[in-house]
Amino acid sequence: MKRYDLIVIGAGPAGLSAAIEGAKAGMRTALFDENEKPGGQLFKQIHKFFGSKEHKAKIRGINIGGELLKEAETAGVEVHLSSTVIGIYPEKCISVNRGDHIENYRAEAIIVATGAAERMIPFKGWDLPGVLGAGAAQTMMNLHGVMPGNKIVMMGTGNVGLVVSFQLLQAGCQVEALIDAAPRVGGYGVHAAKVARTGVPFYLSHTIVEAKGTDHVESVVIGQVDEKFRIIPGTEKEMEADTVCVAVGLNPMSQLVRMTGCEMKEVGGLVPACDEYGATSIPGIFAAGDVSGIEEASSAMIEGHITGLAAAKYAGWIEEDTFKTQVEERTASLEKLRQGMFAPQNKGKKIEKTDEGLPVSASLLERGYMDANEMETYPGVVKKEGVHPVIECSQNIPCDPCQEACPFGCIKVGERITDLPAVTEDSVCKNCGACVAACPGQAIFLVNEDEDGTYGTVTLPYEFLPLPQAGDRGKGLDRSGRPVCDAEVVKVQDTNAFDKTAVLTMRVPREYAMTARFFKKEV
Amino acid sequence: MEYKVFDRTKPIGEFTAQPDDDLIICRCEEITKGEIRKAVYDGMYTINEIKRYLRAGMGLCQGLTCGRNVKDIVARELGISPAELEEATPRPPARPVTAKVYADCRGEED
Ligand SMILES: Cc1cc2nc3c(=O)[nH]c(=O)nc-3n(C[C@H](O)[C@H](O)[C@H](O)COP(=O)(O)OP(=O)(O)OC[C@H]3O[C@@H](n4cnc5c(N)ncnc54)[C@H](O)[C@@H]3O)c2cc1C
Repeated sequence: MKRYDLIVIGAGPAGLSAAIEGAKAGMRTALFDENEKPGGQLFKQIHKFFGSKEHKAKIRGINIGGELLKEAETAGVEVHLSSTVIGIYPEKCISVNRGDHIENYRAEAIIVATGAAERMIPFKGWDLPGVLGAGAAQTMMNLHGVMPGNKIVMMGTGNVGLVVSFQLLQAGCQVEALIDAAPRVGGYGVHAAKVARTGVPFYLSHTIVEAKGTDHVESVVIGQVDEKFRIIPGTEKEMEADTVCVAVGLNPMSQLVRMTGCEMKEVGGLVPACDEYGATSIPGIFAAGDVSGIEEASSAMIEGHITGLAAAKYAGWIEEDTFKTQVEERTASLEKLRQGMFAPQNKGKKIEKTDEGLPVSASLLERGYMDANEMETYPGVVKKEGVHPVIECSQNIPCDPCQEACPFGCIKVGERITDLPAVTEDSVCKNCGACVAACPGQAIFLVNEDEDGTYGTVTLPYEFLPLPQAGDRGKGLDRSGRPVCDAEVVKVQDTNAFDKTAVLTMRVPREYAMTARFFKKEV
Repeated sequence: MEYKVFDRTKPIGEFTAQPDDDLIICRCEEITKGEIRKAVYDGMYTINEIKRYLRAGMGLCQGLTCGRNVKDIVARELGISPAELEEATPRPPARPVTAKVYADCRGEED
């Protein structure tokens, strides 16, 4: 039986980060993952991440994965892919299925970072081909280059449902509707708004009654629900669709860690009861990432680092004081992420005011976009002469790349990264577009409300192909995706620094400069 | 975790059909909601018993998809919270392994 100092199971953000710490401490470290490619969920995340610079904000998930992998290899981690861990046994032994044989390994410490699996809600017809998890749809598109379908109904408006809907649109699918049984959008408002402005309707307090079809999904019946989530008769509505994506949450994949006999607890799924460093009740067995409680890749990475350090300390590879100082730093960074309206401690709570005391946009929560007349409530939306940023960011989420993106000091987030960004008083916008491309929520626009008495301009983030070109004519769509005016593209910037978020400027009648938020080319 | 321990001498009533009993819950083994509900009235109060009685959760995905839904259905019949029901005992292999691989498995020397 081959021996290592540290075995890590699962090469997602948590596992990779944990393995890096182990190897850096000098441990002979092996990392196993069942997939052909490492990175776990990260390699499917083609969108820019939230957070602060220290959390790798505004970098796309897939690129964060690449960075982590390089770091792991440099640190000397042995990465074993297509290697499924099928069992954990006493004395910290594991069995691994690789190709047509089984190998056994033993280590001083084991870190389980197996992530999570998608939840499913059974409804009539849910076993028809064409019904799949949103994460599965994302794997098809972003890892294998396969469109999951043409006409999609997305169930679930949490961040996964919102992000995958946007990516389906990017892949060329039509998203017919986003539905959720809850009365309010569950994910970040900015994620909802970028989907809504392309014209996707949101149906809150709705659920799927039935997916119809003979050998695959051909249509979907949705219906409105009452406060007890019962379908209100007579509200049913049938829409043509060939695909239903289900994004109703994740279950920690804790089967493997349970084999150790460790103490478990129930927090939105069965997870190992761990101390603050990821140690389970079994000495030498640790857990990190989604398997120990569903959160995010950004927090999974930090947890992974902390747990890696804890395993190194447990096995005697680092001293107590090194451990303490390093963990302190990581914990502070983790705390910053666990703030704001969507923080774990606020789960399920109805929040009506921002930290600044401003009312939370009801329209954003009920329809996926903000009403034009709510806009001026927020510190990022000001009226100015000439070109100026309009930051449609109305919720306290841990994110601040905009502040650093502007080289001219036009944007200020404030003390905490969850504070709402404000446009500073006497700053002068140079119309460079850096903030537009940097905002992971695609919520910043550069607006000139009055160019020449007749026209105004709107500069917006654009991540669809084919990219429009200067001179293209079409319609300006409002925040709900409704065509409201004629629009002409006057400039498209697509530099390396913008990292594939093109910055498109369109000219619109000036009375629409604060209304038009998306461009649709005339065909 | 503290799990519910049942007094099996106490009756839980009669099985009554529901309109969506034909809904498939475990896709791998094609087990319906009605079969799971009936199994409870046949005396299967734990997830381990349900699993052995019906094979729900013993297919290709090993209950990764249906596990939680099976638990919800059983808990509702028993009138308890799903958190009070212990999940099926986890056993290797955590993922399906073809019989060929096991057949070829020669004992390794330490
Ligand atoms: C659509 C979507 C969008 C998201 N967007 C964001 C975002 O914008 N920002 C953010 O911070 N987070 C985001 N997340 C969340 C983030 O992806 C996860 O929280 C994060 O990946 C969890 O990391 P992990 O390392 O715990 O698990 P994972 O990334 O799931 O990795 C676990 C790995 O372990 C492997 N594994 C499991 N069991 C075994 C076994 N028995 N043997 C071998 N290997 C095994 C799995 O195959 C997987 O590769 C998003 C998630 C989804 C689904």
